Amino acid sequence: MTHDVLVVDSLVRRFGDLTAVDEVSFRIAPGETYGLLGPNGAGKTTTISMVAGLIAADAGTVTVAGEPMTPRAIEPKRHLGLVPQELAIYPDLTGRENLTLFGRLQGLRGSELKVRVDEVLALIGLADRAKDRSKEYSGGMKRRLNIGIGLLNRPTLLILDEPTVGVDPQSRNAILESVEALSGEGMAVLYTTHYMEEAERLCDRIGIIDSGRLQAEGTRDDLIRLTGGVDTIRLGGSGDLAAAAEELRLIPGVERVDAERRSATLTVKDAPALVAQVVGTAADCGVTLADVEITRPDLESVFLHLTGKGLRD
Amino acid sequence: MRNALTIAGAELRLFLRDRSNLFFVFVFPLMLVLMIGLQFGEGASSGRVAVSGAGSALQTGLVERLEDGDVVVSDPSWDDALALLARGRLDVAVRVDGAAATAYDAGEAVTLEVVRGSSGNAQVVEQQVGVGVDALRSARSRILALEANGVPSDRAEAALAAAEGEVSAPRLEVTSVDRLSQEFEGMGQFEFGASGQLLLFTFLACLGGAATLIQARRLGVVSRMLAGPVTAEELVAGQVLGRWAIALFQGGYLMVATSVLFGVEWGSLPLALLVLLLFSLVAAGAAILLGTLLENEGAAAGAGIGFGLVLAALGGSMFPLELFPDTMRTISRFTPHAWAYEALADVQRRGAGLVEVLPELGVLAAMAALLVALGSWSLRRSLARAM
Repeated sequence: MTHDVLVVDSLVRRFGDLTAVDEVSFRIAPGETYGLLGPNGAGKTTTISMVAGLIAADAGTVTVAGEPMTPRAIEPKRHLGLVPQELAIYPDLTGRENLTLFGRLQGLRGSELKVRVDEVLALIGLADRAKDRSKEYSGGMKRRLNIGIGLLNRPTLLILDEPTVGVDPQSRNAILESVEALSGEGMAVLYTTHYMEEAERLCDRIGIIDSGRLQAEGTRDDLIRLTGGVDTIRLGGSGDLAAAAEELRLIPGVERVDAERRSATLTVKDAPALVAQVVGTAADCGVTLADVEITRPDLESVFLHLTGKGLRD
Repeated sequence: MRNALTIAGAELRLFLRDRSNLFFVFVFPLMLVLMIGLQFGEGASSGRVAVSGAGSALQTGLVERLEDGDVVVSDPSWDDALALLARGRLDVAVRVDGAAATAYDAGEAVTLEVVRGSSGNAQVVEQQVGVGVDALRSARSRILALEANGVPSDRAEAALAAAEGEVSAPRLEVTSVDRLSQEFEGMGQFEFGASGQLLLFTFLACLGGAATLIQARRLGVVSRMLAGPVTAEELVAGQVLGRWAIALFQGGYLMVATSVLFGVEWGSLPLALLVLLLFSLVAAGAAILLGTLLENEGAAAGAGIGFGLVLAALGGSMFPLELFPDTMRTISRFTPHAWAYEALADVQRRGAGLVEVLPELGVLAAMAALLVALGSWSLRRSLARAM
């Protein structure tokens, strides 16, 4: 039987009259990357603050590697690596000194500490700049150091709170590749973001959170199905597409066709599987296609469907 | 405890890493000790005299006598001596001309041209010159008297020296009944400056650490530490220990440097260190409190300097407590500086033991306990607020 690395059960946190986190529950298995997707102020950071034992929950429980997590707990924190959204590093210490300091606080000592610091420096690509003060690093390098500190204790659960905010595209891609690699090594990852593309790329399962409530969770495809799970194929070209529409409607899997003379929009179950047959049928009907566009529902559509607003609203 | 020591070590490293501290921690305090010592210390009253002349027994003898009395003597030309006097570089200028030299050699009355400067010390120094010349004339007369009775010159000088050695000079003991004089008794040239600047800069250096605490909170470093296997108690202890270490480093450095460079006597070293330990703990508590009450590093640095200077001024670090009017002396008792100043004065000047300084140590310990408790409570509160 495989135990979940993280079990969050009915978590509640209030700040005065505001309920920032309201009955949130989810689990993460070993090697799984779980994304908390939601706009700013949705309750993501408050949730992970409770998961990391930084603040107490008003109700509900958090269990990390089988140990109950509270602000005073020590054992579950040994299994945890936290990468906060802000750059939580000392600017006047070098990269190596920052890693050594946090490594010591994680309980590493002597040669074990030195070896691990060297490993992490190599992993985050800062071995050449290890002796430079971190305030002299570029934004991307600081982000990498911020992540590296979270990896020092080889955590069972790595929590990444919006790690790509304010990062240039190149560094962002490097960070995403690192997270993919860590997940591939069996580390459970809790990843919060308001970038839909990151959640789609990295996460095995995604929890959509808004106004403190977990609106839905599942794989990307599970979530897409909530919207009805239909794709669209849009055709454009010369020839009479309105006349071809009748033939196109007969293709199994095509649910609806809205056609005009020079364009047609097909609602289908699985666009990638049907597109070749659709294009062939149109050609058989004398249509010369100039444009074929497939649109599949994404997490933005799911969020819109669930909350009535966009991710970046 | 290991975690607390790790955090404290990082704080001390950050303090030493700050390049602006190199001047204000290592150089500036010693410059102030030197300046205060030169201006107010006992060595400042020795005097500066120019003795001009073409070279004679009278000139040589006068120079030796004045130098024995710790007077700084130079031998510029008469015009240069007058110029130096006009610029305030000398207290007295003396011209030993040929006539005076001849009169001295002949055992006759000597007339010297003496010009006194405008410094407060000039009158005393002029008197020293007069006493010196009289003493030389007296010795010269005795030698001439012996020579007149057939004693060769070299034997006459030796006989006089032997006679002086055999006769005990009358002992004059001056007992001051002035309270102020008694309080300053036993204080060397640099002692006041050293103890005052030690307290001033130890407190200032520690309060400067308030800004690094605010920075650590703002950057989320403190929260990140608590997400690891570190208890809130260890974190608070580490922050207090870190600032205590900074204060002890600054204070210890000044004790060693003033002792080596200026020959400052700190009295009983264990007692002086005990005073420093308790005073530094008060400063550490104040730094934590300041670093948690304010949210901005610039404001904390400014408040730290202002707060540190005011407390130092009220506590006798800039002007001797002994010279404070009664009201100000009463107010000074609300500052840790005043209690530490008095404890150090007892240890340095009066050879006090542990029992004699226990009241001062007790007050410092109480202040330290109160401020560390308040600072720790405030830090824990600010951590909870930040999350």
